[in-house]
Amino acid sequence: MSVTQDRIVQDEHKRAVARAKSKKLLNTILIYAFLVLVLVFAVFPFLWTLAISFTDKSATGGVSIYDFPGSLMPRQITIANFIEVFTQLKIAQPFWNSVVISLFTVVGTLIVSALAAYPLARMDFPGRNILFGAIIATLVLPTETAFIVNTMTLKNLANLPVIGGNNCFAPSSVAPYVCQGLGTYWSVVLPTIATGFGIFLLRQSYLSIPQALLEAARIDGATETQILWRIMIPLSMPAMTALGIFTLVNTWNAYVWPKIALLGAQNLEPMSIAVLKLKGQYNFDPFNIAAGAVIMMVPILIVFLSAQKLFLRGLDGAVK
Amino acid sequence: MLKKALMVSAALGMGLGFAQQKVEIEFWSWYLSPKFDNYLKDTIKDFEAKNPNITVKWFDKQDTMVQDLIASINLGKAPDVVNLNIPDTFSAAQNGFLTDISTLTPMSELKGQFWDNPLNNFTVNGKPYGYPWYGWLNEGVMVYNSDLVKKAGYSEKTLPKTNDQLLAFAKRVKDRTGQYGWIPNFIDASGAPLWHGFFYADGLPIYDEKTGKAQFTSSKHVALLKKYVDMYKAGYFPEDMLRKEAFQLSMELYNQGKLATIVGGPQSLTRIKDANKDLYGKTRVAEAPLGKSGRSTGGGMDLVIPAASKHKKEAAMFAEFLSNNVNQMKFAKIVAIVPTSKGAEKDPFFKQESNDPIIQASGMVGASGRYIDPGFNPPKNSSVLYKNLVDNLEAAFLGKKTPKQALDDAATFWNANVNK
Amino acid sequence: MQNKTRTALIAYAFLAPALILLAVFTFYPVIYGSYLGFTEYKAAQFAAGEAPRFIGVQNFIALFQDELFLKGLWNSIKYIAIVPALQIAALAIAVAVNRKLPFMAFFRAAYYVPVITSIATAAVMWDWIFQKEGTLNWVLQGLHIINSNSAFGWLNNEHTAIWALMLVTFWRGFGYYMVLYMGGLQAVPEEVEEAAYLDGATPFQTFWLVIVPMMRPTLLLCSLLSTFAAIRVLDEVVALTPGGGPLNSTYTALMYVYQKAFDGFNFDYGMASAAGLIIAVIGIGLSIVQFRLNREGEERA
Repeated sequence: MSVTQDRIVQDEHKRAVARAKSKKLLNTILIYAFLVLVLVFAVFPFLWTLAISFTDKSATGGVSIYDFPGSLMPRQITIANFIEVFTQLKIAQPFWNSVVISLFTVVGTLIVSALAAYPLARMDFPGRNILFGAIIATLVLPTETAFIVNTMTLKNLANLPVIGGNNCFAPSSVAPYVCQGLGTYWSVVLPTIATGFGIFLLRQSYLSIPQALLEAARIDGATETQILWRIMIPLSMPAMTALGIFTLVNTWNAYVWPKIALLGAQNLEPMSIAVLKLKGQYNFDPFNIAAGAVIMMVPILIVFLSAQKLFLRGLDGAVK
Repeated sequence: MLKKALMVSAALGMGLGFAQQKVEIEFWSWYLSPKFDNYLKDTIKDFEAKNPNITVKWFDKQDTMVQDLIASINLGKAPDVVNLNIPDTFSAAQNGFLTDISTLTPMSELKGQFWDNPLNNFTVNGKPYGYPWYGWLNEGVMVYNSDLVKKAGYSEKTLPKTNDQLLAFAKRVKDRTGQYGWIPNFIDASGAPLWHGFFYADGLPIYDEKTGKAQFTSSKHVALLKKYVDMYKAGYFPEDMLRKEAFQLSMELYNQGKLATIVGGPQSLTRIKDANKDLYGKTRVAEAPLGKSGRSTGGGMDLVIPAASKHKKEAAMFAEFLSNNVNQMKFAKIVAIVPTSKGAEKDPFFKQESNDPIIQASGMVGASGRYIDPGFNPPKNSSVLYKNLVDNLEAAFLGKKTPKQALDDAATFWNANVNK
Repeated sequence: MQNKTRTALIAYAFLAPALILLAVFTFYPVIYGSYLGFTEYKAAQFAAGEAPRFIGVQNFIALFQDELFLKGLWNSIKYIAIVPALQIAALAIAVAVNRKLPFMAFFRAAYYVPVITSIATAAVMWDWIFQKEGTLNWVLQGLHIINSNSAFGWLNNEHTAIWALMLVTFWRGFGYYMVLYMGGLQAVPEEVEEAAYLDGATPFQTFWLVIVPMMRPTLLLCSLLSTFAAIRVLDEVVALTPGGGPLNSTYTALMYVYQKAFDGFNFDYGMASAAGLIIAVIGIGLSIVQFRLNREGEERA
């Protein structure tokens, strides 16, 4: 191979790299354009809500919230709507209730799902396939009328000391009602924590963990509990986070079931129910509704943002 | 201390020392919290002071009221006094969920406290099931945007007085200002087609309460429906009227300056004031136009006692107290409701002079509790019948069926399903 | 032998909490609910404290003669059209935000905003977007796609209402599936994409020929989830078209179930349960079809 030929090949290579580079730049620009377009689509309604929630309703200058694009830019900014919502709805208690209910539900779901997913993924035992099939089936079963039966079940559970105990994070005035049966935090939480989706998600994640790791641990004499706790859970953290976030969002926004489960214990009702009261018959006020919506969303958004790091690291084949 | 002393003496007074058992009753209101928390709490306090052996636990229910009530009955934790509306009271009574209140409060006493019309509104198969509470008139007042009305060439004096004039008005407002003049009630929150009200307002029958058979297929019914369908097709009514509850839609459009009038209860005024203060300044009220019969239909809320209540006697005492004239009048002073109690019409509150639209409107409708008339009582199986009727009327508005075909089809379905 | 028993014992011990809870709060209600589908159990019986009365398949016969239910069933099946669009878009978005480029964390978070917006709030906004004088028409007119004379309310037109609702479903769902796909994408090494680029493949080709085949298992899971969600769609339909839309064009089968189960004091648990069963059977049938299609695809690939 002569020097010139070599040179030509090198030049050719350089040009190819340069072409690839400029193509990559073009691609990057296209990607950003695409992302911004999706961004507008995704957050437009939220921005609108945000704008309305900060609008001073006494100084709209004749611009109604429906005037577009005028209502996207409030004439005068105020936090009065938020203050009104906080004081009118006494939202501190519902907020606390939401936090407790969501925390119990998320932790409960993670524990129950992690425990159940492990044997389904990595143990050989009779009945495994049937059980797994049954758990998957819960995803499609008709649960529309389940609430009728569930209320009756919870009523009977009220007499079981198993769920008993006193003062589970409730203000002392309601403590006696807090830990048993219907009209307690547990009545909202218990029926929702075992889900086919959660078990399935974690099982898939466990499946992708190399068998060699487990074998090594077993040879070292680790118990199954230790393997679950020391290997499976740490290695499937991204999937756990995803499940945690999904559960949190569902629990935080749910209102039909909490409402029924908390009959007669209004002081335990979560924010999702409290905020709906803003839409009452004689007190419809779009500014307060918007403020309520923002109050509802911000905590979840904060949690999601702080859990982002784990998604960033990747869900490591959580849903292979 | 004093309370205790009183209780002891009461117990001794009974001779054998049976201390009076303290009874706790549960009361559910509907869509009244948080705006009316103070009124309800004060009234409950009053009641408890007068009846020291009864305590009232109050909850306000919103959109899931009916499900909550059914669930609580399922659980054996039924509330004792519940606030319902006319269609739900009928449906609940027809299915055996409620207590005939004349077994708790003698008929003579009920007739002494309430006007006949409101009481009849909650009478199912000859038995009263609800203590009439606050009411409203569907054609209570006409709230209007004075700017738009002027632009359309109307003055305070030439405003429409009849439904026919109202249609002509709607046409002219749209032609001259580009905004809607008025929106007919097509869909109601309770699922009842308020359309019934238009037939009734013109003196046309809806159904035979004895046999349950539909009576809305005459040529007069068809002609009336056709008038509205033609207006809709020509664009004089907003498309949304077929999809959204009339009151909600009217509020939305009115607050944007896109609708000239709202015919209905004065409660719309409170919302206008909350949502758009500038517009409230331009808002005036006038007498509402009426149909050929000259009747104004209306609706109301009541207080019922579930059949599953464990403290019916105490519940009746509280329901009677909450719905008496003194307490209904106190409520009327906070929000423009129509009291259903006898004596309210003489209250000076309804006679005051003011420039404020809310006070004017309260004065115009507040004293008319005795005229509240829902037009007709809900039939059995009403939710199924109403859904079909609305579907058929919608088909007429969208041009899929002629008005006659729509009414005929609805009547066929009605007759086949009313007694199911 | 002993070892096997021990493993089984440990396995069941781990499974016990989930199994007990599922049995009490899911399987038992579903079994009892399915039984209700074969009974007459109406409000009046309930109020009188009477038990449900077994009537065989009468509810099902009545349902298949009820035009409203059939219409609802058809609309629910139509709604599945959202699934491929939603899944492909969510995957494409996941691929885009999965790059190590600046601001990606921001985009990811922003795309998740619709997922956490409660439908009550979202409905207010989307309702206005779809109005005749609303934002969507404003945008389309700005782009000269339509003119002001041909503008109409998207939710008031029997041909567009259901598509408008699907757009809301899409909006609420793509962030959720994006997160699921981001997990699966870890299995696609960046070098594979790079190599495809260097081979001269367009991003579009890379996506279809490299990423989609590698993501097949995740695509299957997400498609299944979104099919079940589509056939049981309720929230956005009720919030935006409470009566079932123009000429019942958005009336879904689940709306029928809810109307029968919750509509005031006139409820009919028997009919509601029977209708729920039919929807479930269709859902299960569709999932079997998807599994089959997926397996065939895998064999071919």
